[in-house]
Amino acid sequence: MTLKTRLVEVRANALKQNDLAARALRRRFEEAGTFVVSLVSSPGAGKTTLLEATLRRLRERRRVAALVGDLATDNDARRLSRAEVPVRQISTGTMCHLEAAMVERALDDLAPGPLDFLFIENVGNLVCPASFDLGEALRAVLFSVTEGDDKPLKYPTIFNSSDVAVLTKLDLLGAGDFDLAQARANIEAVRPGMEVLELSTRSGAGWERWIDFLESKRNQAEEGTR
Amino acid sequence: MHELSIALGIVEAVAEELDHRGGGRVRAVHLRLGALSGVAKEALKSAYPLACEGSPLEGSSLVVLDVAESRDLLVTAMELDE
Repeated sequence: MTLKTRLVEVRANALKQNDLAARALRRRFEEAGTFVVSLVSSPGAGKTTLLEATLRRLRERRRVAALVGDLATDNDARRLSRAEVPVRQISTGTMCHLEAAMVERALDDLAPGPLDFLFIENVGNLVCPASFDLGEALRAVLFSVTEGDDKPLKYPTIFNSSDVAVLTKLDLLGAGDFDLAQARANIEAVRPGMEVLELSTRSGAGWERWIDFLESKRNQAEEGTR
Repeated sequence: MHELSIALGIVEAVAEELDHRGGGRVRAVHLRLGALSGVAKEALKSAYPLACEGSPLEGSSLVVLDVAESRDLLVTAMELDE
């Protein structure tokens, strides 16, 4: 008998396993009434600074926790634990992004109890995290004014997979050549209609809007599932 | 760099399909790769053999069909020896 090669049609998503895990997480979060926000950006855009201040602001009236991904060290988790909320570091080893299964494991380890908000800080990277759904309700891409204002044009995929853009370090505007109007135009070019928030954690500028934004998105999500 | 994870996802998806069909030897896997998927074709092709090691897909090749303006990462077919 001779072997015959046959072409068999298949329809399978290469990200199926991650998508299934993310879907299960999303259902779990919805049932628990937990609004999940993930933060993505290049290294140094200010994810941890934003997150620490956000946790401090929200913990007064909300049950909050955070998972934070890095290749190595638990520096960020130690820093975030100063906000006195449950925090768990996810060390990815050599991996450049978080996957839904890692989030699930970390969450089970942390066992934070009922939560209003869970924040997931992804590994600092504008490329790889774009492909992996983590079950979040909202993905925020951070972008600091110390970077090039053409970042959105260079990394369109991460902007396209995110729900809101947050321009950080606004107090440093003018320290370099960053053109705020151009940055806004570049975001609009890659993701028309994308909401853009601008803030400085150091000066407090834009912070009321950021917190209001989180609360209103959470309320919307809650009304949607009712 | 995340192409190894994607390649492992392809292997997992195809192995599952193969299982449903009762096995066989996979010669090649066809993938629709969207330009907006954030996945680099060359990196994916170099990660693929590594992802196949120790699986029923070992020794198979990856045939990539580039698709513009799409985020697809879709296995569309496999070439099977039966």
